[in-house]
Amino acid sequence: MDSLIEIFHIDAKLLIAQMINFAIVISVLYFFALKPLMKVMEERTKKIEKSMDDAKRIEEKLEKTDADYKEALGNAKKEANVIMEKATAQAEEKREQMIKKAKEDIGAIINDEKAKMQAEKAEVLREIKKEVAGMVTASLEKVLEEKVDAKADKDLIKKIVAESK
Amino acid sequence: MENTENIHDVSPHERIEGHSEEMHIEHQAILAETMNTEDAEHIIDEHSAVVEHEGETHDLVHENTLFAEPIAEVAGLPITNSLVNTWVVVLIIVLLSYFIRKNVKTIPGKVQNAFEMIVEGFLGIFDSVTGSRKVSLKFFPMVFSFFLLILIYNWMGLLPGVGSVGQVQVHDGHNMFIPYLRGGTADINTTLALALIGVVASHIFGILTLGMWNHLNKFVNFKAFMEIPKKVKKDWTVLIVNPIKAFVGLIEIIGELAKVASLTFRLFGNIFAGEVLLASMSAILAFGLPIPFMFMEVLVGLIQALIFSILILSYLSMATSAEEH
Repeated sequence: MDSLIEIFHIDAKLLIAQMINFAIVISVLYFFALKPLMKVMEERTKKIEKSMDDAKRIEEKLEKTDADYKEALGNAKKEANVIMEKATAQAEEKREQMIKKAKEDIGAIINDEKAKMQAEKAEVLREIKKEVAGMVTASLEKVLEEKVDAKADKDLIKKIVAESK
Repeated sequence: MENTENIHDVSPHERIEGHSEEMHIEHQAILAETMNTEDAEHIIDEHSAVVEHEGETHDLVHENTLFAEPIAEVAGLPITNSLVNTWVVVLIIVLLSYFIRKNVKTIPGKVQNAFEMIVEGFLGIFDSVTGSRKVSLKFFPMVFSFFLLILIYNWMGLLPGVGSVGQVQVHDGHNMFIPYLRGGTADINTTLALALIGVVASHIFGILTLGMWNHLNKFVNFKAFMEIPKKVKKDWTVLIVNPIKAFVGLIEIIGELAKVASLTFRLFGNIFAGEVLLASMSAILAFGLPIPFMFMEVLVGLIQALIFSILILSYLSMATSAEEH
């Protein structure tokens, strides 16, 4: 051991000096270089991971929004179709109703008119009959001149009336 | 040129006669030193250059010593040339750290990007050793400091000027060439200090994560003896197995010392051998020949730094795992 120290000039002071060298190097390297460097690297890793995550989320969101939009659009179209159909159907129904009502109204008016005409006709006929009977009586009185007895008269009138009917 | 002319002027015969005996003794001394392989304190890799100085000849010895030479002494601390180099390296790392600290941003620049790439790569390697990112992050600052420090130590030893610019000092009658700078890891004090820090840190981490009792029982296995009475009824083999376990624990103590020794000498040996190799190659032919070896040494420096730090990491993760083996 002594010869080893002799040959290689191992010196406790030099050993300590070298250890101090290493201590300086490790502390300076750690606090000045490695610590901030590692921090920055870690931060960057986190940042990149986060942005990639964000990008993924945004993409998902976009996809979802797109799907939502499409769905909403589809729904709107469907609803519009339904409304249109309904409207068409309603319009048709209304039209038919109106036509029906119009027909009914026309029918009613026609019937009214018919009834009125019939009533008038009947009235006219009755009046005509009445007048004809008077005229016949008057003309017969004149023609006959001679008064038949009341009984024969009455029979005659009845006979003429029945004939004229 | 002047010197050689001078030698010729002063009648070479006379000169050689005058100093022949002295030279002879010197040569013998050098031979004796180089022949004595067991105690090979000096490895001579370059020729001793004969220099004429005020009418006298002296050997200027260029050699790669196994130890770092002191170039000054401040308050009892010998300032060796490798210590100076390590201070330069520490300064470089401090400046680099300061630069990173100032310029660290969420969106990285070129330097930060390169640094982050290295950090990420290391964390990947660490994960394969420790098995979890959490543990890797825990040991990362320490192990990475080992790596960076050793790497720059190793590479700083390869720079031109390191080991080739220096002063001449007189030692034992020789004019010794003492370089001002020497690769930090080509000094056993550096590697031993690093190895000690690493192994001691592994024990500290072991105690902190497992508790004093559990950690101690890895080496002095009281538990193995204490559980014999409990288990002996179920399984009588504990009578044999547990004493063996305890004995293995004692061997682990030697293992810890071996860890320090192997870390120390592996790093020191590789880097020092590289320096000797480069010096030898440039002594054979200084132009071109050392270049491939230089590339190899750059690679060796990187690999040794990596090996050292990964070994420290494995010691750390081993010490903090509940059960050895």
